[in-house]
Amino acid sequence: MDAGTLHNQIGAVQLHICSNDSGFLRKFRNSSLQCISKGFALDVKLLSKGICNSKHGKVRVTYTSLCHASVVDPALRTSLSANDYNQKPSIESSLILIRHGESLWNEKNLFTGCVDVPLTKRGIEEAIEAGKRISNIPVDIIYTSALIRAQMTAMLAMTQHRRKKVPIITHDESEQAKAWSQIFSDETNKQSIPVITAWQLNERMYGELQGLNKKETAERYGKEKVHDWRRSYDIPPPNGESLEMCSQRAVAYFREKIEPQLQSGKNVMVAAHGNSLRSIIMYLDKLTSQEVINLELSTGVPLLYIYKDTKFIKRGSPVGPTEAGVYAYTKG
Amino acid sequence: MASAVFHQAIGTLLSHQHLHNSGFHQEFGNVSVNLISKGFKVYTGLSISRKGGYSSGKRNFSVVQGSASQTSVVDPLSTPSNDSKNGFQKKSSEAALILIRHGESLWNEKNLFTGCVDVPLTKKGVEEAIEAGKRISNIPVDMIYTSSLIRAQMTAMLAMTQHRRRKVPIIMHNESEQARAWSQIFSEDTMRQSIPVITAWQLNERMYGELQGLNKQETADRFGKEKVHEWRRSYDIPPPNGESLEMCAERAVAYFKDQIEPQLCSGKHVMIAAHGNSLRSIIMYLDKLTSQEVISLELSTGIPMLYIFKEGRFIRKGSPAGPTEAGVYAYTRFINFTNASGSI
Repeated sequence: MDAGTLHNQIGAVQLHICSNDSGFLRKFRNSSLQCISKGFALDVKLLSKGICNSKHGKVRVTYTSLCHASVVDPALRTSLSANDYNQKPSIESSLILIRHGESLWNEKNLFTGCVDVPLTKRGIEEAIEAGKRISNIPVDIIYTSALIRAQMTAMLAMTQHRRKKVPIITHDESEQAKAWSQIFSDETNKQSIPVITAWQLNERMYGELQGLNKKETAERYGKEKVHDWRRSYDIPPPNGESLEMCSQRAVAYFREKIEPQLQSGKNVMVAAHGNSLRSIIMYLDKLTSQEVINLELSTGVPLLYIYKDTKFIKRGSPVGPTEAGVYAYTKG
Repeated sequence: MASAVFHQAIGTLLSHQHLHNSGFHQEFGNVSVNLISKGFKVYTGLSISRKGGYSSGKRNFSVVQGSASQTSVVDPLSTPSNDSKNGFQKKSSEAALILIRHGESLWNEKNLFTGCVDVPLTKKGVEEAIEAGKRISNIPVDMIYTSSLIRAQMTAMLAMTQHRRRKVPIIMHNESEQARAWSQIFSEDTMRQSIPVITAWQLNERMYGELQGLNKQETADRFGKEKVHEWRRSYDIPPPNGESLEMCAERAVAYFKDQIEPQLCSGKHVMIAAHGNSLRSIIMYLDKLTSQEVISLELSTGIPMLYIFKEGRFIRKGSPAGPTEAGVYAYTRFINFTNASGSI
């Protein structure tokens, strides 16, 4: 743990505090942890040393193995106290990423890409499960792809949300659609979470492989070619997108539309697909193309990031299973 | 019972056996029923209101029949009995039409006027959709039409997770050239195993104009109970900048006649997942109701309704596997529809 790192903010956010618990503070050896109440609680398992003993009462700390970025230099501690801020607290917002669960073509082992295939019963359960894990994390705005499996995942997850705000899908595909979906009560608007659908968050478009059986395709084109298309960074299947192409439009969208929301303090949830999400994670975590190829995201296991001072701090999986790494990797 | 009514159609559809169940024949008095196997079973909790009643205790035998059943009874004289052997009459194509009204949405729960605001389902609405799916799990579906609102789309997709056949619903995209190109399927076999899902704003809920998002109580306080009652329950008085039921019916029925009926004509089995007002508009057309009758029509949520389309006519078949007290329309409990046996 890098106690020498100076960093103004805290990764830990707490709702019901027991920050005066010196036992807790001691556990972090020479680093102290400042807690800022942001109006929400994060339930996260601690993955690093200097573990927060949750028996210490209601202290919940979000921490990852990259925790050096979020520890306050002890020298700074004395000059900062919870009551004594000279500077404005910097804006912190949460970013939740959820990859949708099993779709009917996953079950049939067909290449799906941008074909709009819905969830299976299992995919539905995964979405609800994911929702339980994020039920306490604030959500002000939701982004999904244009495909029903991601949209359903978002809506099903939100049925588990503790806050009573209502997700409302915004429509602007035509003037009429916009006019017809208007809300005429300010109060109701305030209780709404806009849901924005964007094709830029769609799964990677798989071109002429869409609808083909994976085995057949391997037999037709050869295992290697198919492996190239599936697992390379920049080789697209015939008339399809490479991962690079997918990244380009997904990350551009993220930076243009989503990041400004985070910047303005809005808490965002993105419900999308394997490739569009790993593209975004590549940007958030500054991964190389080699690293992103090896990144596998679990379905239905949400990932949390805290956005603060234009930086993205990886927070792992809310209430994740004990063996999951920060990325909620698949078991394989 | 109108045993003299001549009609070539059959209300009963059976997939395996029991074609020669003479016990069944007897129950209808002198009328025999010709059974055409159409490759699917139809289950229903039937509320047959006539004598010569029907016992649903008959194993594996399901009859779909409404209280207007005279149109679906075959004249004994015209029944070619050997047809029931191969079970299929090619010249008359019969297609199933399922109508499902979505269940509880988050604004229903909050008692807000929803209209065309795109509000999703509650947990309860999700369960209702799954329940509806169980009831139609054996009725063939070749095409699905929904509105452009997520609560109807989710209802359709959730219901289809219960479907026994292994065909996969695929939502069609043609909002742009790219959307169309990107959603293309490149395997004939896979396409054959697909059920196209078409989303149409014409099947949306009635647009409620300036009441959308308002609390029902507040609105009554603001405009007066009577005015609100008018907007909600009249046929042709729209709320400010909204649609009347008549206006909603116009675009919903036009769409149905233009796009959906031709599918039924060509023998495709269709499911429509939509909303209270767009569905009652369609039912008004199917059952030739008057504007007075349609106003009094309340459709239960999550309880599918089945029609058989045959030779240009729509034969109401009630609710598949409906609860025993449901009338043909799967009415909500408070409305007592005309039913001779008073079985509600």
